[in-house]
Amino acid sequence: MKQGQVSTLNDKKRHTRIVASVVIPLISICIALGCFVAFALAQGTSLEGLYAALYYGVLANPNFLTQTMTRSVPLICAALAVIVPARSGLVNVGGEGQLIIGAVAGTGVAVSMGDAGVGIIGIIIVLLSGALAGGAWGYLCAVLKTAFHAPETVSTLLANFIAADIMLYLLYSPWKDPDGSGQPQSKPIAADLRITTVAGLPIAFIIVIVIAMAVWALLNKSRWGFAARVVGSNPVAAFRGGLSVSRYAHSAMLLGGALAGLGGALNVLGAEGQLRPGLTTTFGFIAFLAAFIAGTSIWKGVMYSIVAAAVLVGSNPLQLRAGLDGNASYVLLGVTCLAIVVISRKTGRAS
Amino acid sequence: MGNSDVPALDVKGLSISFGTIRANDDVNFHVKHGEIHALLGENGAGKSTLVKMLYGVYHPDSGRISVDGNTVDISSPSVARQLGIGLVFQDMRLIPALKVWENIALFLPDTPALLEKEQIVTRISEISARWKLEVDPMATVDDLSIGEWQRVELLKVLLQGAKILILDEPTSVLTPDEVESLFAVIRRLQQAGTAIIIITHKMREVREIADNVTVLRKGKVVMDDVPVSSISDEELIEAMVGHSVSSEHRDSRANYQARPILELAKINVQRPDGTIGLADVSLRVYPGEVLGIAGISGNGQEELADVLSGYARPESGDIVLADKGESGADAGGFASKGITCIPSDPIRQMVVPGLDIASHVALWEHATNPHARGYDVSGAGKRIQKHAAEVGLRIPPSNRILSQLSGGNIQRVILSFAIALAEKCIIASYPTRGLDVGTTADTRRALLAVRERGCAVVLISEDIDEILEMSDRVIVLGNGRIRGCLSGSEMTRSSIGRLMAEEETEQHEARAGEHVE
Amino acid sequence: MIEIILAGGIAVGTVLLLPSFGELVTERAGITNLSVEGSMLAGALTAFIVAKTTGNYAFGFLAGAFAGMLVAAVFASAVVFARANQLATGLICWFLSLGITSVIGNSYNGQAIHQLRQIDIPGLSSIPFFGNIFFQHDVVVYFGYVAIAATAWLLYKTKTGLIIRGTGERRAVVDVSGHRSSLVQFAAVLAGGLLSGVGGAYLSIGQVGNWASDMTNGYGFIVVAIVAFSGWRVSLTALGSYLFGMSISAASVLQAQGIAVNQYLLDSLPYIITLVALILASRTNSRQPEGLADSLSM
Repeated sequence: MKQGQVSTLNDKKRHTRIVASVVIPLISICIALGCFVAFALAQGTSLEGLYAALYYGVLANPNFLTQTMTRSVPLICAALAVIVPARSGLVNVGGEGQLIIGAVAGTGVAVSMGDAGVGIIGIIIVLLSGALAGGAWGYLCAVLKTAFHAPETVSTLLANFIAADIMLYLLYSPWKDPDGSGQPQSKPIAADLRITTVAGLPIAFIIVIVIAMAVWALLNKSRWGFAARVVGSNPVAAFRGGLSVSRYAHSAMLLGGALAGLGGALNVLGAEGQLRPGLTTTFGFIAFLAAFIAGTSIWKGVMYSIVAAAVLVGSNPLQLRAGLDGNASYVLLGVTCLAIVVISRKTGRAS
Repeated sequence: MGNSDVPALDVKGLSISFGTIRANDDVNFHVKHGEIHALLGENGAGKSTLVKMLYGVYHPDSGRISVDGNTVDISSPSVARQLGIGLVFQDMRLIPALKVWENIALFLPDTPALLEKEQIVTRISEISARWKLEVDPMATVDDLSIGEWQRVELLKVLLQGAKILILDEPTSVLTPDEVESLFAVIRRLQQAGTAIIIITHKMREVREIADNVTVLRKGKVVMDDVPVSSISDEELIEAMVGHSVSSEHRDSRANYQARPILELAKINVQRPDGTIGLADVSLRVYPGEVLGIAGISGNGQEELADVLSGYARPESGDIVLADKGESGADAGGFASKGITCIPSDPIRQMVVPGLDIASHVALWEHATNPHARGYDVSGAGKRIQKHAAEVGLRIPPSNRILSQLSGGNIQRVILSFAIALAEKCIIASYPTRGLDVGTTADTRRALLAVRERGCAVVLISEDIDEILEMSDRVIVLGNGRIRGCLSGSEMTRSSIGRLMAEEETEQHEARAGEHVE
Repeated sequence: MIEIILAGGIAVGTVLLLPSFGELVTERAGITNLSVEGSMLAGALTAFIVAKTTGNYAFGFLAGAFAGMLVAAVFASAVVFARANQLATGLICWFLSLGITSVIGNSYNGQAIHQLRQIDIPGLSSIPFFGNIFFQHDVVVYFGYVAIAATAWLLYKTKTGLIIRGTGERRAVVDVSGHRSSLVQFAAVLAGGLLSGVGGAYLSIGQVGNWASDMTNGYGFIVVAIVAFSGWRVSLTALGSYLFGMSISAASVLQAQGIAVNQYLLDSLPYIITLVALILASRTNSRQPEGLADSLSM
């Protein structure tokens, strides 16, 4: 009858894997950089301008590393928010919205604490509320999938726009800072709730790396991680093997959303100090691409997120020095990702 | 029709290799117009490869193909079709969502840019009337029976004006009735001068329909263009298998005095699309018996296996396990009750990509004992090797990734742990489908061995010979209902076939009823 | 007011309708193109620049169509010929388009252009109520009506449509039937990009009359959702597009009437409605083309 075609792949040789994971991305990035330079030149920028941007953005920027680490905090969290559900077979394109909701909840709680001087406990409460809100936002889409068969790719995507509108609503009306010179932004968060640096390292970054390690252990060393992987790789086999598919789908999405929500809250406490529109613009999507290229590997996901953060930080002066629009960095990231996805399409797929 | 002395199709010295495997080695045979020629061989003998070369899907490394005496280069399926070669694939190439006429229009090269439905439908009706191939051109393919699918495939090929017709395992999914009507069509085509090649591994069919036979084994022709009437069954089997296999006589271990292990009472299952899966099915499985479930697949087998192994909850009816009442449909099914299952499509239903054998076993051990604390992967890897050795199955080392193994190896691994973990019963769906002779024999022996510890086997199969060889009792399933239960001397090929055919007529009546409404 | 909302809905709905039909054809061929959003952005900016500099709207629309197709061509080359992942490639192409249009369009931000002229269809436009809603629009809305009929005709009455539908179901069968399914998919994606480009162009030079960075604001993703919950059917895709147009136009009419509802809450309405529609659609047993099964997975 209509039997499924069974294709057995040959074992890939180890060295071709190394080529695929290191050399090919490097070549891709070079090609992409070439395309970007060509595009920038076509926009009337001079090579000198581009060099100046690079010089002031990276080489002559004493804070380049710190800024990159700070920037990478929400990116890494949102990348983890893709990888965890992906292990159990769900596509979470909603990292953006989960970041936003986490930031909104975190800000709400932090602002309401005012100058109460609650210190470290206050920080923990703010972070937890961010994680909780982000988790709930993601969980909603998992339920829509298991209860109503609404494809989670589409629902998480749409939820991003709803989250952004919620944030904008709050910032333009109830949460608007009366002392903000008319700008749509929340009141600043009390100084004792801010997360600073220790020995030049942003504490938020350290927290995120520790969390990434914990997530790695959870996925690779725990019973939950094993079961989630079985559910993600073959739900029918998981059901037959005694695992409840929807339970793992729910918990993976909850955890993923919580990670992104935590990232949003960390970003507010660590980098921003208040909620502003456009504070997370497209970070969730950039993180999705980083995680996609990483192919569900936590460490690659972290690494690519940091690289993306470096590109964002490094291309900051493009506007000032090279006269390009601030969104020009999307072009750079876009061409790079496209080159990587096309050239190494086999390695980019979830295992 | 061309000169009758010149073969319609002549193949000389055809060879092809894939990597180090020589799939076809110096293959020769020829077919004349008006001849029915059988290509006989086991799974993996190279029949399908040969067909794909004749149809332009593969290109031979060496050798020559002639059509009507002219050497041709069949570089693609469309070239093959232009040469008048038509192929009815084994895995029917139709699009279920489209209507019959749309499928045919998609296939025909002379379909006009603006679809003229009436004209296409008329053409289909003419051809189908001419060869007595009854199909409703307006039906959606998804709604057709498997026999009708095949008729559509035949129509496609005949509308192309094929002079050389290749049928790849045409009867493997048909009821005896449908086989008869297919053979009738083939004979009509033969009388009209079509050269017909039938690919099969069933000797009985060769005898029934073919004029001449060519036998392939391991890519080589071992018997070349022999008239079927001049050769005995034993010689054919010998040629096909290499050594003659005698079916083992075995004795029963069934204990019908004991309490049944599993009992179904008036089970009804509805499929998601609203059609009947199982209707009013009642049966008992006793310790130590092999209960064969015969019938054409798609007649409730899938649903029955799911209900028996606890993966599906029936709409109504009771499932009684030896100790207490059960309803089923939880993750893991009845695994924790000592009932394991070999699913009909193990790769889809049990294999987790990227996971090694030991992890699969750990997962399954956990399903049989959900209260265990965790997954004991390394222990499971050792245990499965021990169990496999006990039942005489060779399986790869436990650290190998299961999804990367060959179909036969996957089957042996799944069989090993289904057997190892079964305390009371194994539900085996098509356990030997697509396996080579050696693995098939291993599988059957291993399944029979579980009876020694009082475990029962429910054997769901389309292969009547397998059912007869293995079973103590046979239930024939048709249209979701039990058509009859046979045991002892009632169990014969013809009695089973009759029960299956009975189901067919009933289906036709049901259809006729639908049309009236 | 109802009339204004409904008529506005038809006009705004056309912005979604054209890309929806593009995406419908694309998905019927077995590809989900998430970069509809990117094609719309490219179409919107290009049309604006060309219309602004030449003063000719027809050139504007042509250029917009071409730009939309260009984005689709990048997507299609990666997805059809390199078999790159559709979800990731779609997002990347949207990203690229967002970045490029932001950079190029920077100097056009805030410039205005007059909107398209309204053409009343003689006779039909004077039908009470309905004439107002359906037949007092600009030429692009009428083009939308034609696009509905043309798509239905293409998909169901021509051999090309049959091949497209077959490709979306089982490519392998189409290939053995002697057609080139990859070319069919490539062409279907390009056609989708073309219509998305026109949709974007209609947004900038037809509806709003200016250009702003990221002005499509997720409409392209709503388009993908519309096609999904319409069950890949022509009639429901059209209905869905116009209904969304109406929800958007209702929001702006309510605001113009001074009804105090926050703009951003109203903005989120279409997305919420889309989610609800997706849930409701899951109850109908519409059949997804088989070839789309994995198109939105990683």
